[in-house]
Amino acid sequence: MIKFYHKELIIPYFILFVILLLSIYPLLYMISTSLMTAGEASNQYMFPKKLMFENYLEVWNSNNFQKYTFNSIIISVVIVTGVLCTSIPAAYAFAKIDFPFRNIIFYGLLISLMIPEIISLLPHLLIIRGDIFPLPFGPSWMNSLKGLTIPFFGNVFLIFLLRQYFKKIPNELWDAARMDGASHFLFLRKVVIPMSMPIIVTISLFAFILAWNSFAWPLLILTKEDWFPVTVSIYSFIREAGTNYNLLMAASLISIFPVLLLYFFTQRLFLESISNFGIKQ
Amino acid sequence: MKNFFTKYSNQINGYIFILPAFLIIGIFGIFPVFFGMYMSVHKWKVFKGRFLGFENYQKILGDISSFWLFILGLLILIFSYWFWSEYKNKFKNKFYVFLLSLVFLIISLILINYSWSIMMSTGDEDFLNSLIYIFYYSFFAITTEVGLGLLIAYALYQKLKGKQLFQMILLLPYITPAVMGGAVFFLIFGKAENSILNEFIGLFGYDPQMWLFDKRKLSEILFGIKIDGFFAGPSLALTTSIFYGVWSYTGYYAIILLAGLSIIPSDLYEAAKAEGASRWQTFTKITVPLLMPIIFFLLLTGFINSFQAFNHILVMKTSSAGETMDVVTIEIFDHFWDRVKFGYAAAEGVVLFIILNVLAVSQYVIFRKRLNYD
Repeated sequence: MIKFYHKELIIPYFILFVILLLSIYPLLYMISTSLMTAGEASNQYMFPKKLMFENYLEVWNSNNFQKYTFNSIIISVVIVTGVLCTSIPAAYAFAKIDFPFRNIIFYGLLISLMIPEIISLLPHLLIIRGDIFPLPFGPSWMNSLKGLTIPFFGNVFLIFLLRQYFKKIPNELWDAARMDGASHFLFLRKVVIPMSMPIIVTISLFAFILAWNSFAWPLLILTKEDWFPVTVSIYSFIREAGTNYNLLMAASLISIFPVLLLYFFTQRLFLESISNFGIKQ
Repeated sequence: MKNFFTKYSNQINGYIFILPAFLIIGIFGIFPVFFGMYMSVHKWKVFKGRFLGFENYQKILGDISSFWLFILGLLILIFSYWFWSEYKNKFKNKFYVFLLSLVFLIISLILINYSWSIMMSTGDEDFLNSLIYIFYYSFFAITTEVGLGLLIAYALYQKLKGKQLFQMILLLPYITPAVMGGAVFFLIFGKAENSILNEFIGLFGYDPQMWLFDKRKLSEILFGIKIDGFFAGPSLALTTSIFYGVWSYTGYYAIILLAGLSIIPSDLYEAAKAEGASRWQTFTKITVPLLMPIIFFLLLTGFINSFQAFNHILVMKTSSAGETMDVVTIEIFDHFWDRVKFGYAAAEGVVLFIILNVLAVSQYVIFRKRLNYD
């Protein structure tokens, strides 16, 4: 148990408890409001008198909410798959294969991290509409899964993280594999990927959270509701006049749930990679 | 032919492996900047119009040369820091070095002030104000985040029970999507007299506030003085969005700083303990100075990153807060989304890009020397 006679530790504990309370309070309040009646919620009670679990059912069955949630899941899963398919080979090549201009290309890509998203948003929109050059698979990618996902298939930051990890794999392994006649592809698939599972899981989680939170881009390219992700639908819910806050909070909570679930399962890896990244920079 | 493939297998494999990522990053990451520049010199509403030259920039900045003067001012500001850090230990008489860098500092401030006031009087006031608002946002958010983060990291470093659990909870706000988080903040910082926060400050005898719906400046609310311009501070609505930023990122910085703490040699702490230093003394005399490079680095990168804050501000924006929450990203978004002025918005984007690059230069200048703990 906490040793309270250890006087010096009281202040650190106190600071931590206050901060933790502040960190978690908005989420707790979200839970508590989501269980209130509409009247209680608009009067901003602290706690509901009676737990209204019906709210969740009502949200879940209303206004295409299920469809939006599945949209979000599909979009995020497609982005994670796509980003892994492009990033793993690229990071492997940048870390282990020696080819001309390798470092120049790599640092050139790194510079693109400096570009603010808001600047790219507008040209992206024109590319997706097919205004700048003809697109494969159809004249325009507006209102489609392609438009929502493909722009996010390349992620320099994730390539960077993966490359750091791949670099640590000893070269002797590759030499031995080559003796046995393995190609780079086979070596990547049979040796490198199984060895790097922790980092791959972490970057998948990063990519999933980023995709799940994406908001400005879907808002821009979706003019019909068919592919609305939850973020956009909740945004339009907030903007409606006379919103029922209890339902809004229930909806928010349902849509945070997948992210929270993934986070709980991978939090140790997640913490590690954040702290490593902070130091290495 | 087979010989060719085996001979160049590295090259071929290398390029094939990076090709998919390279194509997508090239098209969606790098190409847009150049295309944005191309758009910015055209009249462009939904479809491309005639060539305008720098007309868009003239509308935004008023006088383009004063913008470059402004950038020059920023660069001299960075230079004065560089000059001080480079030469303070190389000359015996520090005073002259100090004096000279002070002169540079004053020149840069005069330049910035002068060019800014010209731009303000001739350019797009809304856009320039939005730069000031994002400056407030970034400055206040990042200093609070890193400061609080440091405190938390230090507390967590004290070999407490349940450290893992604390860390896990600390990162919860960071992974909460901005739209949903913004929705709760909308409630907690509600304008109703009985909103959670208003009741809470009521306990201390303060009047209820309108929070996100209040466009009065902080200086007016706190000190009751009405001033205009830069020193008026952010509006209460913008301050509320700063609270959101702090809520969401403090844990993230705390985790990074905690990792930084663990590389400080522990014999330093033991020595301090043997000398009978208190925890607070070791914190201010050992921890903070040794962590200074990391703290500085986080402040600067965080400052640049928060210049791009967008999602939660868009969610929390209310009409009664007026333009005081229109930070630069919102302003740009508004121009091409609601007002369909594509060329103009692209030009605004390029201006933002230039400013961010100047900040990045400062980051490079300050962190040329690697971190070391000798």
